[in-house]
Formats: sequence, C-alpha cells, structure tokens
Amino acid sequence: MTNAVADPKDRSKDNTAPTVVAKALIEATGLLRAPQRLGPLIQKLVSDKVRVTFEQRHLYSYVTTKRPSAEVLNLLLRWILDAQRPDGGIAAYYSLLTGYSESYPEVTGYIVPTLYDFARATEDRKALAAAEKATNWLLSLQMPTGAFPRGLHGREAQPSVFNTGQILHGLVRAYAETNHPGVLSAAVAAGDWLVDMQQPDGSWSGSGAYQNAAHTYYSMVAWALAELSERAGDRLDSSRFALAAEKNLDWVLTHFRPSGWVDGINLQGHPNYLHFVAYALQGALECGVLLRRNYAVEAVAKSSWVLLRKFETNKYLPGAYERDFKSPLRFTCLTGNAQMACVWLRLFEITDDLCYFNAALKMNEMLKQLIPSRGRPGIVGGVSGSFPVWGQYQPLRYISWGCKFFADALILEQRLKQSFDATAVGILPCAS
Amino acid sequence: MRIVVLSPSAYSETACAMVVRMAELGHVPVGALALSALDRGTLLRKFRQWGWQDFTHYARTKLSPLQKDGQAAVRNPYLRPMLSRGNGIFRSLHEVAAFYRFAVAICRDQNAPESIARLKEWSPDVILFAGGNILRKPLLDVPRLGVLNAHLGLLPEVRGMSSPEWSLLNNVPVGITIHFIDEGIDTGPILRKYEFPEAASCESLDDLRNRLIAFGIEKIAEVIPALDRGTISETAQPDLDCDPQFFVMHEWLKQRAAVRLVNNRRSVVATAHG
Repeated sequence: MTNAVADPKDRSKDNTAPTVVAKALIEATGLLRAPQRLGPLIQKLVSDKVRVTFEQRHLYSYVTTKRPSAEVLNLLLRWILDAQRPDGGIAAYYSLLTGYSESYPEVTGYIVPTLYDFARATEDRKALAAAEKATNWLLSLQMPTGAFPRGLHGREAQPSVFNTGQILHGLVRAYAETNHPGVLSAAVAAGDWLVDMQQPDGSWSGSGAYQNAAHTYYSMVAWALAELSERAGDRLDSSRFALAAEKNLDWVLTHFRPSGWVDGINLQGHPNYLHFVAYALQGALECGVLLRRNYAVEAVAKSSWVLLRKFETNKYLPGAYERDFKSPLRFTCLTGNAQMACVWLRLFEITDDLCYFNAALKMNEMLKQLIPSRGRPGIVGGVSGSFPVWGQYQPLRYISWGCKFFADALILEQRLKQSFDATAVGILPCAS
Repeated sequence: MRIVVLSPSAYSETACAMVVRMAELGHVPVGALALSALDRGTLLRKFRQWGWQDFTHYARTKLSPLQKDGQAAVRNPYLRPMLSRGNGIFRSLHEVAAFYRFAVAICRDQNAPESIARLKEWSPDVILFAGGNILRKPLLDVPRLGVLNAHLGLLPEVRGMSSPEWSLLNNVPVGITIHFIDEGIDTGPILRKYEFPEAASCESLDDLRNRLIAFGIEKIAEVIPALDRGTISETAQPDLDCDPQFFVMHEWLKQRAAVRLVNNRRSVVATAHG
C-alpha cells in the first residue's frame, strides 16, 4: 500500500520517494483493486461540486444550529473507533481510492486524550477501552532511547521529535487517567529524549526533525513537555521538562510578526497549511497557559484575531497562506478550521471575550454541515482533509486528526456552554 | 435641508419612516435610492445564499406588504405613528414619494456609477442611511454635509453587527450613536451618543431593536438642524486597529442575550416594587 499524495504528515517522504504524480497514480490504482469505492468517490465529488457551485457564504451563515453537536460528536467518535486497527493503532486516514491506511503512531498518540474526554463527557465504555488499547500499542513502539518512530506503522524506524511530542500528549493523559507507573516511565523516557534532542536556541532541528529543519509548529512538542512537567511534578523532579518547554516557547515567539503571522512553519515543498499555522498557535497558547506566560497568550490572541476577522468577514478560512496571512487559495483545510475553533474557545475561556466564543460556535456549525451522516465506515462521521474534497490538503481522504480536532472542539464547546449557563449569564466584559 | 435616503429595499419601513419624519420637520426629501428586491440577479443570489427555505421566508416577509386582518400592518409598531396616513399607512417608498413628491430610484448597487450620477442630480445636503451596501468614497463625497447613520450601539465600544445583543451580553449600556459614515465599518466621526433609557422595559430582543430604530430616527431628526446651523461638532473615533468589531451573533448567544434582557427587566420591576 502506498501513502500517496504530498503530505508533510507523512514522514516517510524523502528524496528517493516517487514523485507526487507517481504517488497519485499508484494511489489511483486502489480503485482497480476495490472498484466498489467508485460509487462513494463519485458521490462525494458531485456533492462537493454542487455545494461549491450553488452555496454562497453570507453574513448570516452558520448562526443557527442545523445539526445538534452531540449527534455529530457521536459520528466523529464512531469514525475514530471504526479506524482503530486490530493492533490498537488508529489509521491515519480513509482514502476514497485506497481505503484505510495503516495505523499511525503520531495521531494515535494525540487521539488518546480525545477518547478520554469523550468517555468522560458521555460515559462511553468503548471510547475508554479504545484509549487503553491505543496506549498499549504505543508503549510497544517506544524505542530504547525513549523516542517514537516517524511515519506509518512498520514503514520506518527513524526516531521523530514531532511524533514523540504528539505521542507524549497521549501518554501524559493516559497516566493521569490510569496512574499506571509504566505509562509514566514511558512518558518520562520520551520527555528526556526530547530534552536531549533540543538545540541550544530552544528549537528542534537535525536528524529527528522533519526535513532536518526547525519548525515553529513544534510548539506542540513544547506543550507536551509542559504537560509532562505539570502532571509528573509530584512524582519526580520535572523542572527540566518545563525549562525545555519554555525555551522552545520563547524561540517560537520570536517568529511572531507584527501582523500576527507566524514565521518558521518551514515546510519545503508544501504551502503553509492552516493546519500547521494552527498547530503553532495551539502549542504556544497551551504551553503559555501551563507555564503562566501571559505574553505568549497575548501573542497567540493577536494572531488568532486576524484569522477570526478573516473567517467572520469571508465566511471561510483559506486552507493555506503566504506570509502575513495572504492567500489566493479557495479551498479550506477542515482540520485547521477545527483547530482554530479549539484556539478561539480556549481564548474565550482565558480572556472571557465572547467574540472568540461566537466565532467558534459558527466555525463548528460550518464543520457540522460537512460531516457525512451516512455511508460506509471510513466515510460516515469523517472529516475530509479539504473542502472541497479535491482541495490541496489531503485530497480525497477522510483524516483521523481532522476527526480528533473537531471532536475536541465540540467537547470543549459543550463544556463551555455548560459553564456559561452555570454562571447564569454572568458579567462578561469584552476583552478583545 | 435637501435629504436623500438610502434603503435596503423599496419596502423598508425604517426608510419610509425616516423620510416621513424628516418631511414633517420641514426638510425636503429629494430622493430615495433603494436596492432592488425583485431584480432577477438579486433574487438568484439570495436563493444561492439562503437555500429555498430561508428564501421562501424572505419572499413571504419582505417582498409583500404585511397584512393583518385584511388590513395593512407594520412590522415595527413603534414606527406606526410615522407611517400612518389618514386611515392607512405608507407601505413602500413609492407611496411616500408619491405623497411628498420626490423620486425613488431602484438599483442593484448603491455604489454603481449610475447610482452616484442619480444622487448627484438630487444634490442632497445630507444622505440618511437606512440600509444597503457598504458605502464607497464616491458616494460618500456626494452630499454637502455627509452620510448619516443611526448605529444601534454606543460607539466606539460596540462596532459592527448585532450591536444591541452584544451590548447586553457585555454589560455595556444599550444605546444609539449618530455618526457620519466613512469607508470603515462604523468608524466615522461621531455626532451624538444616546443611551436608551427604556432598554430595561423591553420584552424581547425584537422589541428592543424595534424601539431602538424608532429612537434612532428621532435622534437623527434632532441632530440634523444642529448640523445645518453648524452648532454640532463631530468627534473622530480613536485609533480602531485594536478595538473590537462585533460580528453577527450566533443564536445560542442571542438566546443568552434575551435572557439577560428579561433579567434586567425583572430587576427593574423588583426595584420599582421594592
């Protein structure tokens, strides 16, 4: 099986890999192996074409609830559970051409907190069992150094900083839920490896980094280290993790421009997809919150406000950007949208500024309308890489990390709605 | 004063009431520029934007004059005194124009060159904005004194859409601002700000909005003579780069704003009885 079209998430890509076109052709042969996929493929292409042709976003788009959030959340979790492979890992994607991919360690790692959150919110035993199964599989993949491998399962044995950081999110949460000492040991080993791999300037580059380069979206790794420090602090001296997190956070913040744009996404051969911009923001925000660095929250708020205005004005966020948020592109990256909903919801929680909450509610309405409620496993409840589905980011695929981030956004939305109502529509100043 | 009104449609009650009120006060309505509601392109665009359900609702409520018990009614009851004419009411700008003898032009875009040319022909002292497009500089340059808007929130704090609702949720006083329109969104120089004292007695968000619209027309009527005499000064808004602009409110938050309105009303009633 091939892992196809140009994909910075696919760490198996290197100089010897086939060209993008060749990969696409190979992926297209998936239809020859399973022609029954042709129907759903045509159906999706036609429905997206109809939608982009006849629907025009306008001032009142997404202000009303057309689908209940709980219903869509159940569909998303159903997609994730369907995507869990027998080994316990979660598939990276369901391709309309080739079906499910192999298990993907990175995504499996950071889906674990989502499964626990869902289990907590709905008392769903299946989600709990899936989280435990996924954690056990991840533990079996850890390298002696503490690192986790890059790429899809079984493809590569090279250690990856980003994947280790993303898996660390899952391990830290699994430890918090189970108190299992083996999980803590694995998390600490992963954290120690990340600290060892960090450059003096606070970035991660070199052999463990994607394309050997430093990236600002590795703030997600800093966030994981800050979490580890916070959770493990009562059991051992964890200050090294907090220090490494802070060092990276400071390095990332030097890349925030006055326009709010974040430099240093730094993906050669790929545009700056919203997914990665949102990663940089999400990581810096959560890391800043955990380390109590208000200046980080302020920097993220400024950038997020730029994207909020774009979304409110144009009713969609372009899927990729040039410097200073310029974008000529017409497709949208649904995962990035869901991540921005998470960022706006957290900023509302932190600042009490209802404008963020309002934008997130509307973003979630927009995304809810695009989740299939019918179809085979892999399609029903899926979040496509792009809208329309042939857009540049993960074309013709439903991706597991899209479901993860949108589920996170809906769970967070529900929690904030409850707490908002619990304060009896309390006094909320506008802080923007 | 020679007055022109910009309207979102020929059936806008707000625009009709605005013209009638100004005429009653001795000003001279010289024209009204309304967006076309029946234009094929506009209808198609609205159908694409809204889908058939919302479109049908729009057509039912906006394109036909409201009837109640066989008689013409008004959607905003607080405008009834201005819209009443003997036993009937003004139902469209055409009817108001026939009564006060001014021209109504229907257009697809208020900023289009032919719209600007028509406005120049009318040579207004002031243009009153009752709705329509975001206005561009060529249009803004037409009137001698400027284009006036009654914004349903206190500027510069509450800029943008859903202003009464945002005011309620953010515990900012509800009110209106009479200001000149410039090329930004509610960023033009402020002439007067008025808190709305009756906000606490409103029964619903619709009731609040309706009352604010009527209140705004009265306050514009107060400002115009002062503007003509040159006895009112304008205040530029502060640097708005970092100030908030509010966007259309999601219905979930709107419901909370409505709850806040009811709670405010209860507390006022309790204070009055206590």
